[in-house]
Amino acid sequence: MTPTTAYLLYSIFAIGGVGIYLLLPKAGKPQTLAGAVIGVLSVAGLLAVLAARVILPDATTAYFYLFATIAVLAAARVITHPKPVYCALYFVLVVIAVAALLVLQRAEFLAVALIMIYAGAILVTYLFVIMLAHQGGSPVYDRRSREPLLAVLAGFLLMAAVAGRAEDLPQPASPPTVAVPTADAQDAASQQRDSNTSAIGTAVMTKYVVALEIAGVLLLVAMVGAIAMSRKKVAVERFAAPPKPIGQAGREVEPY
Amino acid sequence: MPGIAEYLIIGAILFALGLVGFLSRRNLIVIFLSTEVMFQGVVINAVAFARLHHHIDGQAFALFQLVIAAVEAGLALGMVVLLYRRRGSLDAEAWSLMRG
Repeated sequence: MTPTTAYLLYSIFAIGGVGIYLLLPKAGKPQTLAGAVIGVLSVAGLLAVLAARVILPDATTAYFYLFATIAVLAAARVITHPKPVYCALYFVLVVIAVAALLVLQRAEFLAVALIMIYAGAILVTYLFVIMLAHQGGSPVYDRRSREPLLAVLAGFLLMAAVAGRAEDLPQPASPPTVAVPTADAQDAASQQRDSNTSAIGTAVMTKYVVALEIAGVLLLVAMVGAIAMSRKKVAVERFAAPPKPIGQAGREVEPY
Repeated sequence: MPGIAEYLIIGAILFALGLVGFLSRRNLIVIFLSTEVMFQGVVINAVAFARLHHHIDGQAFALFQLVIAAVEAGLALGMVVLLYRRRGSLDAEAWSLMRG
């Protein structure tokens, strides 16, 4: 990666950080429009930089940019939307876009598993808990975020540290052809090599069979633990002492 | 055909967005949704490296990662329900008594 490209990427990430900062719920007048405009600008700049690297855009490339845009924008909405239900629904969009990106990388089984497990099971659990713990109106902890500037700075530093090195990796030796093979070629190819599902199944059932058993035990332990936790009787502290201001909490004892 | 770097950058962006949400949001449920966004970025990375090395190990690793994500969601949401029943609030600041 040339230094020019790196600095261009850093500036784009900085602009995106400003957009996220404006979109995070804070005190004062909401700046959703400005944040959205800046965020869309930074995503467009990122896409332009990425697209400039591709000489001959084919169908796969176009799909990649489409689903990558959907994934990034929906993820930005997940962390900025003030209502948890909408956060969960935008997360479904992230999962679907990521599954499409996995299909583009010939990981069909994982894509289906991702949609089934995340969009099917985990998200239902999240929505169930959100409905269970629903409070009327929009509580203050959904409208004010905690240290948005520092959080965005941390994210920007992580991005700058990681993405600057991503370009130094070698390219795949022979990029697998996803570009719409004909029916005959597909039949021949499927007879020649194993499908993605059977390859994963073989690996999991032979090389990683111990890890598979441990994963099963882990799921059992989690199930028992979740049931034990949810049956526990807790004392309601709702009308206990009023909450202390920040900085005063935990300072009941005189210092030495 | 996008190479490996594009997928890695998208994965890193998802991870960083999840990190920002994890650090700054105050609703306990949204905090755990942010960790799920981070998981998505890692899944993209694992599959991209599997394609880079022409090996199935990365995809098998991502499959086990889905198991961990399911376990984490179940246990974390159980704890969230427990905390909500105790304080009547989903605010993470309601549990800041251990802060010095």
